[in-house]
Amino acid sequence: MVDQRLAELEGITKTYKQADREIEVLKGISLSIDSGEFIALQGPSGSGKSTLMHILGLLDRPSKGRYLLRQQDVSALSDNALSAIRNRTVGFIFQTFYLIPYVSAVENVMLPGLYSRTAARELRHRAEQILDQVGLGDRMHFRPNQLSGGQQQRVAMARALVNDPRLLLADEPTGQLDSQTSGEIMRLITQIHEQGLTVVLVTHDDEIAGYARRRIRLSDGCISPS
Amino acid sequence: MTVASRPVDLLRQAWRIGQMALTALWAYKLRSFFVVLGVALGIASLTVIVAAVDGAERKAMEIVKWFGPDAAFVLGGDIQSRAVGKRTLTLSYKDAQKLRESLPGAYLVVPMRGKGNVTVRYRGKSRQVPVIVGATAGYAEVWNWPLAEGRDFTEEDVQKGAKVGLIGDLVAEDLFASESPVGRTIFVDQVPVQIVGRLSYRGVTGGGGSSSVDDRIILPITTLTQRFNLNRKYFRALRVKFYAPENMEAHVANLRSLLRHLHNLQPGEPDDFSILTADEILKFLSMFKGGLMLFLGITALVAIIVGGFVLANLFYLSVTERRSEIGLKKSVGAPDWAILMQVLTESVFLSLAGALLGVILGLSLGQLMAQLGVLEILISWKVFIFSTLAATFMGLVFGLRPARTAAGMPPIEALKGEH
Repeated sequence: MVDQRLAELEGITKTYKQADREIEVLKGISLSIDSGEFIALQGPSGSGKSTLMHILGLLDRPSKGRYLLRQQDVSALSDNALSAIRNRTVGFIFQTFYLIPYVSAVENVMLPGLYSRTAARELRHRAEQILDQVGLGDRMHFRPNQLSGGQQQRVAMARALVNDPRLLLADEPTGQLDSQTSGEIMRLITQIHEQGLTVVLVTHDDEIAGYARRRIRLSDGCISPS
Repeated sequence: MTVASRPVDLLRQAWRIGQMALTALWAYKLRSFFVVLGVALGIASLTVIVAAVDGAERKAMEIVKWFGPDAAFVLGGDIQSRAVGKRTLTLSYKDAQKLRESLPGAYLVVPMRGKGNVTVRYRGKSRQVPVIVGATAGYAEVWNWPLAEGRDFTEEDVQKGAKVGLIGDLVAEDLFASESPVGRTIFVDQVPVQIVGRLSYRGVTGGGGSSSVDDRIILPITTLTQRFNLNRKYFRALRVKFYAPENMEAHVANLRSLLRHLHNLQPGEPDDFSILTADEILKFLSMFKGGLMLFLGITALVAIIVGGFVLANLFYLSVTERRSEIGLKKSVGAPDWAILMQVLTESVFLSLAGALLGVILGLSLGQLMAQLGVLEILISWKVFIFSTLAATFMGLVFGLRPARTAAGMPPIEALKGEH
């Protein structure tokens, strides 16, 4: 692969002000992620794994440190520029799916494309194709509340993939699913990874983390040696 | 390189945002409906004010046109210091005679007086007429009021106190229907009067009063004073028509100094008469219009502000409820301005819908008020233009704060907002 190094973090810290004291959530994280990796970020709640994922996904900015995403220093970019990069480069899956309740599955999948330059017809075609790929070809026009939890998470996955991102960030993607559905979702993520997509999975569940090829453990804002 | 760095991208993005806004509005129908309603009430009151002010304007123009730019109307007494009923009788027949003889530029001088609420009868039909006017020859001409049929009074009619009369269109309609009134004899109170002419339909209501000018009978002034036992030396008012209306100011000055001379007024003494011209009436009417505009304008402003707050609050509620939707859109790469634009688009769409409903409401209300005789209204394109502008303004101004709140939400907190 050409850009072997997808992401590189150097001395990333994150502090939040709460009342009159500062809480340091990340205490100097240095980490590099290569293209095609499948990483599990593990750690107890409060360890900073979600914050790290948000920084990786450009949803949050580090307080200190340098972050290179595809060789570009993103630490100093404007919000608009970050939005544009997020739109093209990053796909998210969340524990609670976050589907828009009043539009159909295919329209939910199309959402990231609506903020890109993709033409409408092409976008719809691509959304249908991906929905088909995740096994929901027969449910494209269902509303989220007409779908099961597992199906909703598949819609969310299709949405994360529609703009053809370089990095898939999954935050406890199976947290609300039973173990059988969890297995299905994890196999689907593995499949997508095998097609070449870099995946970072945030979980506190060892069994789920087992799907990843590399594990990174966080505790108290630091990467613990494994 | 942002999503909308080229005009064509911007256009496509605007179109997509518009579609998303409409979908969201439709999804939250009830809330949308209340916003529309709130805006509609504000716009309805604006519609009424615009239609009413235009109506007042048209009314003013009608009255002025009816009055004539080449005429003056002299009232006995001083209208500025006395109420209508208390005006003193100061204009005499001698004054009228002298004006006819020596007022430069004047070609017609018609003295007048009136008597209110008289019963007229014709063949068992009886009707109350709000005013009987006594005048001399030339009444129709002096008021620019052509006769539909028949003739005006002659000098002889006036000298002899002949029992002849002119009939207003409305009275003629009621008493004679489609028949011609000319040559018929009606009873005005107990006095038999032969109708010699019928005034054409004029259709203007008097200054503020509800009675129509077509609802009147005209008798020779001598007949009126003799048969109805009114003062025979003085009359109430005087109509003068001039050549060369462009010299009205000079005409009025001449008229005034001549009347002051005839009344033996010393320098410094106030006039014991009042002269009205089209200009004066216009001044008075625009004062009235200004008052109307102020009163209705404040009402409309309050209604629009109330409607705007309804809109702002419901949109706050909306962006709070839809926090996770906003957070999600940001996480998939919607820039802040796209979120801002969507909320603003939603609020402008709703306020425009409110404008449409408001105009319909306002025009219905205006029609109702016009029918009840409360207001004179005129519906023009102005109503639509003003409402559209006001609604867009409401949508932008009152939607801006909720929109900025939405755009400023940090994506992670917005996402977490749900649980």
